[in-house]
Amino acid sequence: MARGTNNSARHNGMSYTKFGYLFIAPFVVVYALFSLYPLLTTFWYSGANLSNANSAFWGFGNKEAYYDRYLDLTALFSDDELAAHGIDAHAYNDLRNYFACQTRADQFKPTDVDGLTAIANNPDISEATRAKINQVIETGDISYISTDAAAWEELTTWSANYYDLSVDIIGKLTSINSTGVTLTTVEASDDESSEDAITTADIIAGDSYAGFLDTLQTGEFTEGQQVLMSYLATYAGADSLYDYFANMQDTDVATDTFYYVCSNLDAPNAIYDGEKIDAIAVPFIGDLNAYMTANVWNTSIPPYLTFDGYIDGSRNLHDGEEQVYSNLEKLYSMGIINSQVQLVEENGTLVPSSDGKVNVLANMRQFIDSQYQSDAVKAASKMQIAAMNNYLNDSANSARKSLISAGYTDIDSYISFNGEMDFDKYASFKSRIGLAGVLTMDKYNELDAAKKAKNAEKAQAKLDEKVSKYNDYLEQYNNEIARINGMTDDDIAVRYSGKFTRADLIRMAEESFSYNTVTAVDNLRNQVNHPSGIFGSVDASSKYILVGFTNFSSIFTDNHRFAVVAGAFVTTFVMWIIGFAPQIGLALLLSAWFTDTKLKLKGLSAMKALMYLPNVITAATIAIFFRRLFQYSTGSAASAAQLFLDAIGAPRYNFFDSAWATRLIVCFINFWMWYGNTMIVLIAGITSISESLYESAQLDGANSFQTYTKITMPLLRPILLYSFVTSMIGGLQMYDIPYNLNMNPALIKFNGQRIRSIQTVLMYINELAFGRAVVKQIGTASAVSVVLFIVTTALSIIIFYLMRDKDAAAAAKAKKLARKAGV
Amino acid sequence: MSANDVKLRSKSGSIAAYSALVYVVVIFFSILAIIPFWYMFMNATWDTFSIQTGIKLYPNFGNLIGQTKANWDYLANRSTFSFSTGFTNSLIITLSSTALTVYFSALTAYGLSVYDFKGRKTIFTIIVGVMMVPTAVNITGFYRLMNTLGLLGTRWPLILPAIAAPSTVFFIKQYLDTSLSKEIIEAARIDGCGEFRTFNSICLPIMIPALATQGIFSFLGSWNNFFAPSILLTKQELKTLPLMVGMLYGDRYTDYGAINIGLSASVLPIMIAYAFLQRYIIQGVAAGGVKE
Repeated sequence: MARGTNNSARHNGMSYTKFGYLFIAPFVVVYALFSLYPLLTTFWYSGANLSNANSAFWGFGNKEAYYDRYLDLTALFSDDELAAHGIDAHAYNDLRNYFACQTRADQFKPTDVDGLTAIANNPDISEATRAKINQVIETGDISYISTDAAAWEELTTWSANYYDLSVDIIGKLTSINSTGVTLTTVEASDDESSEDAITTADIIAGDSYAGFLDTLQTGEFTEGQQVLMSYLATYAGADSLYDYFANMQDTDVATDTFYYVCSNLDAPNAIYDGEKIDAIAVPFIGDLNAYMTANVWNTSIPPYLTFDGYIDGSRNLHDGEEQVYSNLEKLYSMGIINSQVQLVEENGTLVPSSDGKVNVLANMRQFIDSQYQSDAVKAASKMQIAAMNNYLNDSANSARKSLISAGYTDIDSYISFNGEMDFDKYASFKSRIGLAGVLTMDKYNELDAAKKAKNAEKAQAKLDEKVSKYNDYLEQYNNEIARINGMTDDDIAVRYSGKFTRADLIRMAEESFSYNTVTAVDNLRNQVNHPSGIFGSVDASSKYILVGFTNFSSIFTDNHRFAVVAGAFVTTFVMWIIGFAPQIGLALLLSAWFTDTKLKLKGLSAMKALMYLPNVITAATIAIFFRRLFQYSTGSAASAAQLFLDAIGAPRYNFFDSAWATRLIVCFINFWMWYGNTMIVLIAGITSISESLYESAQLDGANSFQTYTKITMPLLRPILLYSFVTSMIGGLQMYDIPYNLNMNPALIKFNGQRIRSIQTVLMYINELAFGRAVVKQIGTASAVSVVLFIVTTALSIIIFYLMRDKDAAAAAKAKKLARKAGV
Repeated sequence: MSANDVKLRSKSGSIAAYSALVYVVVIFFSILAIIPFWYMFMNATWDTFSIQTGIKLYPNFGNLIGQTKANWDYLANRSTFSFSTGFTNSLIITLSSTALTVYFSALTAYGLSVYDFKGRKTIFTIIVGVMMVPTAVNITGFYRLMNTLGLLGTRWPLILPAIAAPSTVFFIKQYLDTSLSKEIIEAARIDGCGEFRTFNSICLPIMIPALATQGIFSFLGSWNNFFAPSILLTKQELKTLPLMVGMLYGDRYTDYGAINIGLSASVLPIMIAYAFLQRYIIQGVAAGGVKE
């Protein structure tokens, strides 16, 4: 019957079939534009060098404003050159100061409402000043305070006299963090250093290392220097510094001790006999810094991973306090916060001072051990006053001072304090200083062309020189080979401490020769043909070149990145499976009960509805609520979980300090939100099984358990598989819950690196492509997206085959066979 | 005879005991499902000190309205959290995207179900194939496209793509294949009714049960969406409710009562809707899992 209808419809509807295209057209067009095209571009980005893509790429739509803000022409052109292009150097300097001011406002948020509210509620502050603060809150105009000297004086005086240990620590974390961010940013944006990355072997094999050893052996040192050297030798566990450096294996270079010793020799902060000790120049310290920055610093504890949350206030200092302490300890031993280490003389030997900024460690210990509690309002007031000071104070904000002395006393009215640049305010300032219409996109292009011409000329000169010196390099090479051949194997072993063989030395000479005559020449020729302009350091589009699978291979070759990417996949999978196991178990049990007719349960639909409820509620809300539920504190004020621990007599436990406790909370939320869903799906599956099967089983004398295992389970298998695969695909995209539960979670070791314990794949993609870092790593983010796409697609294909109508597939196959047989 | 009687009685007795056990477990999980929300609502009526010194599972009878209002006012004074802005934005985005999803999915499903055009099977296979592909993987490309089209900083990136919802198309087509009779369309054609009019005024009403179910799920999905809005909506005045709630994250400046009232306010609208629609939602979930 149905078949007949179909046939007649097809017969009669011939002329209508074209409407089918019209009906599906909107879907196809929108899908192609908003899903397919972005997917393909994501594939394309994954193969492109976009490691430097930044706001320009991401839609800082106003390119002129973008370059005005981020491209510093003074670093590229002299004042005269700028004047030659019609740009007044003074006005341009004002523009730079304006953006420096804006950046400071963005960084310190001097009008942050939460902080200002704290000041307004601070009982130590006078009514009059608090009224002023309230005006700042209402209007967002900082000048109510900045122009009122008495009020400002009162605030700064109060702040200077109020001491709070946690504020002190957070202040120091902020400064350490900014050092770290500078280091890592420099590394990330410096293309040349990543081209020929320094290895530990390079440092030891370098000429400067050998020279340095000679100096240590034969050099003359002051008494102070000798004391420092012996302190450092003892620190490194060697008899003398020469012993220490001479017996160095290349792997030892990667240690914290090595860095500490070198940087203290190079730039000591030690005091001996009342005098500051002179440095012993460590010639490879530049290489060492580059190496540490590229490897150890980046991989062992990226500071922004550990300190960010405390600095922006999203994390309580007691939350993960021991982790912070051990990270500080590590930074200290690495010498990264070395500038804050003072060596002082005690009984003729140098010891690390217990004084000075090293106290950040001691303070942290005191903070933890004494379970220090801040007065929240006063602590927030102090921090907000510091933020205002950082923006308002002349010495902290020299850009603002220069602008005010240049006559722009109302500069604050041009600055936007809500964390986003205000284009209208910027435009009016630009026209006020007379650069509107002068410094345009055309001007930037003109400057770019000029720079390119100049750079091409320079490169050509260098190239000519290199080419003309070919014979010199050849001679050098021949001399070196002759020198090597002139030595016996024993000579070589002695001279190079057994580190290099004859073959090594010859290879090195050949490499050096070919670098000078081929590689360097090619590089210069490339620079002549493609000279760099002015946009290079800030503009992504100029670097938009296809790099094949580099982004993918970087995931596997970079130890740290591999750990983070693979770790994110493993974390996501682990958190999914730990939540899913009880979820499917409970759902099976409940569905068996709910469909058991012998039990005659009442009120089932209400209970089903209740159990499904968490699934419809916003996951972000739930995660934030659970964060509050488990939050850690030591005082009498505590979260529900801590109060519960108190009630049962257990000690307080910091759930967010433990990687696994945090993960388990995520798993529990997932389980709790989803078991109701799985249960309903399974109930539907069970009720769709024919009643007659159960009846005949009952007649055969089977009990409940037997019917369940012999009839229900086998017939439920496809639905179980469906639940499994859909849940896994959903689980791989976990984002809302871990993101809102803890943005700066405890770290966990993965493949030798420390990764965030609940960072999922999507969180990592988001951080790379849209995170707070100035340098956005779109290429890598896209590569990770593609990996995620491949994994989910593979799973989709599996489910597609599982869900396929078996009868239809068999029929299609039979038809195909029949056609093949020529029927 | 008596032995049989005892056996029967003990059997019914063990069933009763078994039922009791089942009830205990089921009631436990029912309570577990709502207790966090209950706790959240109760906390919304207390002040920070009370919340932090005792687990409050009952409302603040002493000063119910006063404290609740104080919490709400505190929250309203924060520049970062605006319930009305979040709610309005969520409503605009969710209602328009749901309307688009439902209408255009019905249109597509109808096209695929009724017209036997060339390539129909292939297109349907592709739709089924891409159903599971997560939208999140193309986020870098999508963001860049929105930038190129000048749609960043607007609500459109969250609304327009709703026109193409593969899984909704799939489910509506399954429904149409079994419940739309081709005779009706034939009859309409004979009466001279145009194809689009047939769809809009005759077939669309027939699809209402399927559309309602899909509409509810589309609504919930869009309302609870966090990932895409968190990337695409950076302007304060465009943020949706989940993003507003996300701003209650953070430990330093804490007013627990205010935070809880903010969370409660975001939960309550959905809970109310759920109370009325739970039967359809649960039916929809059940239907989604079982292959037709």
